[in-house]
Amino acid sequence: MKPTLSPQGQAAQTISRNMKLISHNELAGFGGIGEGINMQVTKDGRRILWLAHESAPKNFTAVDVSDVKNPKVICQTDLPHERVRSNSLDVVGDIMVVAYQTKKVGDKPAGMDIFDISTPEKPKLISHFDASGPHSRGAHCVWFVDGEYVHLTSGSGDFEPTHENDFQFYRIIDVRNPSKPVEVGRWHYPGTHKGDKEAPPPRHPRFDGGYRPHNVNVFPERPDRAYVAYLDGGAVILDISDKSNPKMITNWRYSPPYNGFCHTVMPLLGRDLLLVTDECTKDDGIDWPKLGWVVNASVETNLVPMSTLPMPPAENFIKRGGRFGAHNIHENLPGPASYRSNTLVVGTFFNGGVRAFDTSNPYQPQEIAYYVPGAPKLSPKGSIQLNDVWVDENGLVYTVDRFAGGLYIIEMSA
Amino acid sequence: MLDALSRKFPVSVVTGFLGSGKTTLINKLLKRPDMNRVAVIVNEFGEQAIDNDLVEVSSEQMMLLNNGCLCCVLRGDLQETLRDLFVKRRNGDIIDFTRVIIETTGLADPAPVMQTLMTDDMLAEHYRLDCVVTLADAVNGLEQLGTMQEPVKQAALADRIVITKSDLAGEEATAKLEEKLRALNPQAPIKRAVNGEIDLAFLIDVGLRDMKGKLEDIQRWIGEPDEHGDHHRHDEKVKSFCLRFAEPMTWQAFSQTMEVLSALRGSDMLRVKGLVNVAGHPGPMVVQGVQHLFHPPVELAAWPSDDRSTRIVFITRDIPRDTVANLFTAIGAVTATA
Repeated sequence: MKPTLSPQGQAAQTISRNMKLISHNELAGFGGIGEGINMQVTKDGRRILWLAHESAPKNFTAVDVSDVKNPKVICQTDLPHERVRSNSLDVVGDIMVVAYQTKKVGDKPAGMDIFDISTPEKPKLISHFDASGPHSRGAHCVWFVDGEYVHLTSGSGDFEPTHENDFQFYRIIDVRNPSKPVEVGRWHYPGTHKGDKEAPPPRHPRFDGGYRPHNVNVFPERPDRAYVAYLDGGAVILDISDKSNPKMITNWRYSPPYNGFCHTVMPLLGRDLLLVTDECTKDDGIDWPKLGWVVNASVETNLVPMSTLPMPPAENFIKRGGRFGAHNIHENLPGPASYRSNTLVVGTFFNGGVRAFDTSNPYQPQEIAYYVPGAPKLSPKGSIQLNDVWVDENGLVYTVDRFAGGLYIIEMSA
Repeated sequence: MLDALSRKFPVSVVTGFLGSGKTTLINKLLKRPDMNRVAVIVNEFGEQAIDNDLVEVSSEQMMLLNNGCLCCVLRGDLQETLRDLFVKRRNGDIIDFTRVIIETTGLADPAPVMQTLMTDDMLAEHYRLDCVVTLADAVNGLEQLGTMQEPVKQAALADRIVITKSDLAGEEATAKLEEKLRALNPQAPIKRAVNGEIDLAFLIDVGLRDMKGKLEDIQRWIGEPDEHGDHHRHDEKVKSFCLRFAEPMTWQAFSQTMEVLSALRGSDMLRVKGLVNVAGHPGPMVVQGVQHLFHPPVELAAWPSDDRSTRIVFITRDIPRDTVANLFTAIGAVTATA
């Protein structure tokens, strides 16, 4: 290889700014993690990071991170077959919920498991919430922060979409009795369910990502609101003061002209702002730009974008291989081991690594730190593909690779 | 969450008299295994700029060295070069450097280089001055100090002084030079280097690296205690002294004092650095200035010891200690000087 001014070559080179690697764990060779990260503090004081795998064969992995310099895998479970993935999980106390999404409609298991993780080495299944059906691929994402309701992105046996890409919708599941989870409410984008009086929504002309909810944010501070990212449908705010009858308050649609796949809508509580992220879903910059948006939500019915999170030049990172662009952010979950800030935003950007932004001035968010690991060994994309991130209450950053790299624990500006 | 100091790249300014061996010193430094992620800014890629055996690949403006360092020629102005380095690093175009060394020309006044880091918002956000190293050549240094302005200023502004070629000059000449340098700048520790060999620890991590405010870090930054006393040097135009005030002062009083000094005698206030006990603040305020310009103050997390007195080192041209001390009293910053 011809030497360049960037000595190790682009994708192989770790680059960082105000972030330092504390430790790295390849998760026993199964280093591909989806978008479920949550930290449990056990009754005996251990800190356990739970990770949902991106795809089979593994289901979820528990890592004891009590000593962050020396993380240890203490539990790693298998899926029943290769046609299902878990992808998403959440933890409240000693209860963990895990999503299951199948590759094809009609397959099982599809839905959600509830586990007792009081002994993290031996998770005990409490119940399974079945969401399978002839038009369902099960659940993609869970949001569970209050110990009472799971806000689920899922299909169901009785839901027939108007378009094959619109197979999931928003469901509220009461898990106050974890052995008997029951649905108490649901909402779908108008026109996506057969029999709707509304016409089906228009398809994205270049990238039909579909009309499905991705992440749903519901905070104890604002229990009457669900902030839903609805892929090509953009950002949706629902009034869920009556859980049995969610009502749409607003919908900010920005694709086209943008390239769809709205992924997360997170309120910056107390500031009348939303942080909205897209998901990059294509390699090699095909669907660039995929951005993080700062949105003025002071008038809920008229969401107005103010700025985007500053990114390094796309052309440089696209060359590194795989995806480059926005994806998950740390979602300020309540809980004893979660960092909460309404100004600092930490997100993953696939081969753009993990990046931290100060949004104190919402018109000019500043990038204050980043860490881009060099390509993991055996990376199928030839580059790092950071997929999700958790920030603990001390500000330590836990980020995961989508395919091979496993877990990276990072300190900000030590 | 981010430490206002540790998040910045340390910048060392290597200055020195003509022929004092700056290039030799930098080449020696770059050969050390622990200096493998440094971006060096030089004035030109002359024949002697960087040892050829170090160069791995080069473009018109940059060279990658085989130990991983980057050497970059100063084009346009320093401001532009430092901005360009930061952006290229973030873009992944160049190495992930962690430190910058700037080599000035022998005739350079280092003050504008230092001021660049303070006045450009973008640079002040991402870089911090770590150390000004001034090289003085034992063979010609004494004469240069006597006949030229620049070497005097280079020595006065230094955090560290390295005497080179002492083996050629002999002990007597070297000792005379050392005495003269110590008179010009008693706070800056002085060491002798032979063939560019010097303890790296003497030259790096001199500035405050973080806001933790450890005693040893602060002492290292402010410099050696003024044990020689300034009263021996009435004949010197360049004066250096440390003022201490036991009681806290308001930030307004401190900044007014500095404003008056800058307005009246800015060009003669060669360098100011120290800790200020600002009333109502738990930690000391770190202040530093070069001539008219002051760096935005940074508050440390806590005082390093029970001694909470304000301590400020002044290096001035023809401004006596009493003038500065009296001004603090006149403005009402303090009631009496210690």
